[in-house]
Amino acid sequence: MKRTLQYFGQACAYALFAALLGYFSTSPAYQQLPDDYALVKLSFSHAAQRKHPCRERSAEELAKLARNMRIAKDCPRERSNVVVELEMDGQPLYHVVLPPSGLAHDGVSSVYRRLPVRAGTHRFVVRLKDTEQGGFGYVREESVSLEAGRVLVIDFKADAPGAGGFVFH
Amino acid sequence: MIRLIQRFSQFVMLRVENSLNHVFRAELNPLYQLGAIAYFLFWMVAVSGLYIYAFYRTGVHEAYSSVESLTHGQWYLGGIMRSLHRYASDGMVLTMLVHMWRNFAMNRLSGFRAFSWYTGLVLLLLLYVSGINGYWLVWDQLAQFIAVASTEWLDWLPIFSNPLVRNFLLQESVNDRFFSLLSFAHIGTPLVMLALITVHTQRVSGARTQPSRQIAIGVVVTLLVLALVKPAVSQARADLASVAAQINLDWFFLMSYPLIYKWSPGQLWALGGGVMTLFLLLPVLARTRHTAGSFQITTVPSARSFSTKPGETILEAAIRQDVLLAYGCRDGACGTCKGSVLRGEVDYGIYQAHALSEQEKRAGKALFCCATPLSDLEIEYFENESLKQAPARTMGCRVETMRRVAPDVMVLLLRPLTAGALKFFPSQHIDILLDGGGRRSFSFANALGETECIELHVRRIPGGRFTSHVFTQMKTGDTLRFEGPLGTPFVDDDRDSPIIFVAGATGFAPVKSILEHAFHTGSKGRKWLYWGARSPSDLYDIQRPERWQREHPNFMFVPVLSAPLPEDHWQGRVGLVHEAILQDFPDLSGFRVYACASLQMVQAARPAFLAHGLSESACFSDAFLMSTHPAAQPAEPRPLK
Repeated sequence: MKRTLQYFGQACAYALFAALLGYFSTSPAYQQLPDDYALVKLSFSHAAQRKHPCRERSAEELAKLARNMRIAKDCPRERSNVVVELEMDGQPLYHVVLPPSGLAHDGVSSVYRRLPVRAGTHRFVVRLKDTEQGGFGYVREESVSLEAGRVLVIDFKADAPGAGGFVFH
Repeated sequence: MIRLIQRFSQFVMLRVENSLNHVFRAELNPLYQLGAIAYFLFWMVAVSGLYIYAFYRTGVHEAYSSVESLTHGQWYLGGIMRSLHRYASDGMVLTMLVHMWRNFAMNRLSGFRAFSWYTGLVLLLLLYVSGINGYWLVWDQLAQFIAVASTEWLDWLPIFSNPLVRNFLLQESVNDRFFSLLSFAHIGTPLVMLALITVHTQRVSGARTQPSRQIAIGVVVTLLVLALVKPAVSQARADLASVAAQINLDWFFLMSYPLIYKWSPGQLWALGGGVMTLFLLLPVLARTRHTAGSFQITTVPSARSFSTKPGETILEAAIRQDVLLAYGCRDGACGTCKGSVLRGEVDYGIYQAHALSEQEKRAGKALFCCATPLSDLEIEYFENESLKQAPARTMGCRVETMRRVAPDVMVLLLRPLTAGALKFFPSQHIDILLDGGGRRSFSFANALGETECIELHVRRIPGGRFTSHVFTQMKTGDTLRFEGPLGTPFVDDDRDSPIIFVAGATGFAPVKSILEHAFHTGSKGRKWLYWGARSPSDLYDIQRPERWQREHPNFMFVPVLSAPLPEDHWQGRVGLVHEAILQDFPDLSGFRVYACASLQMVQAARPAFLAHGLSESACFSDAFLMSTHPAAQPAEPRPLK
């Protein structure tokens, strides 16, 4: 009788082990996005314009430099911040000021932003400013129909064909 | 706070262990072999992984297709292998986490164990890296979620000028070479783990790296059943242009992933960093008095000396320095390692209450597998160098002959299936390993070197699982498995002084082994054998000691019956065997006594012998339990205290 109970206990222990593994290897399900939502991903890497324009060195300045350093133009390395605005259906969805990377602030400005939005047709306006002076140099407006679970990627390429350099995937 | 959590964990763990001791018995308790089970699961993962890899194709499109084909096209093997791969990996996480928790609860993480603690932490991290990496390989929606979430989490670190997650923005961002890289990492990481496992166990003396056979079989069968009942399957093919609202997560590996979105990547980094810092500090925070110093341990009467490292138990130090102390579970449950501390102070450690009573502690006993010295110690130890020549092995044997010498006694001759004679010493025993778990101990009845067979005297116990089998079903040619030789031999280190052997029923077996060995080696000391039994038929081999008496002038044989019937016409001594001895030897000073009988008989005889002048150090016993209880085993021969 005792042995039977022992075998039963062992079977229970193994069953518990199996149940733990079997259940938690897939359950409970994780809801990463509400059922009627889509996802907008705004992401790009872009090198902004230089913060200060290049200037011509004078003859005196050039003379003071070592022979191998005598370059006519003096171009400060630091770049401007990149400012991005994203609107959806006339409402601001995201706004960010992206500093340039690197110790000398001369690298690219990067952004990745994940924005869950309700599924449906939306009008997006996205703007980018990459200079110290002036307004948004790049603007794109687009109406997009987003099904639930779809991902809209908004990328930016300064040399992309079409207006504004923004690319909607 | 840490101490409070530790004490609570200890409270819970000891109770769970105790419950499992009842279910599995101490020697098979899975909680006592968690590290070994994790190691075993590692091999399951490795073998199943190699099979899967043979069919896996490294490519954006081929990865998913090849895994699907394996899962459904050959569900009977490939599918099962995939399921085993997943569940064994999950099992590794579970066993490693419980292993860590148990070591924390039992405070086995300070001193020299800190090394194993830290390497264990690295192993756990590598397991997570390898497991998460493995999920990417399938390239289904779960893989997509993990890829995106992992890179989003990593991008929080201010070290990437270009976000890593941009590699998973668009379908065309992922290329075939990426999967070659993932495969390389998924094979390389376990190789590093394998090397580290070796390092991890290196600092612990005699660390167990293989679970017991029954547990290994139990784990394999459990995972196989699970693989059939709930096969591991992929989710929908990855598509970076969409996102699945619901994901079936493997919570063993991915428990922290939802926090990336529930909180933020930065907060998850903070949590991970905090937990890791706590784990790194635990060995320091949990440091106690018993983990602070190194001490010297000397043994008597066999003069050996060895040292302990801070936090090391007496048994661990002994194993490390080749002092052969007896042990079983090594977790304070079976009591095999119980011994006497003659001088010095110990921390008794954490053990099951039934394994060491308060009375035994007051009498100077300790469980050497749990006790750590608090000062230099002197412990009792009987060394036999020759034990090293007869290491215990597990092997098969064939039943060579069966001879029923009494209605309830069978003499078995077993021939080991491994080539060469089995080395053993008188009064050692073997454990017969029963199918489905359990073991039964029987003393060697033949003398060292007498034959290549093992002689056992098996007495039928009503309801006994093995002994009933011997008497009703066993036949010549059957095979058995056993482990042995086990137990400390009886050392006749004073061969010329008089010795009295007391045998009860089949307790004659080890006495026969000792005496035949003594006659063979020409021992000249005077010897008496008092063989006690209830009826004449219990003296199943009486002709043998009678013959010895005729052949050896230094040997005397006295059979004693406790309950002879008139029809037995018994002419010899009547009464309890130890009383017969005391009638013949009112003064036992200068004698040695070796008693091999039931526990009750030994317990009755010992105080009587001591009261008649027998020195404690000259009183040896090999007491056994005649019961159907699966844990019934003969005690080690040792001076009775």
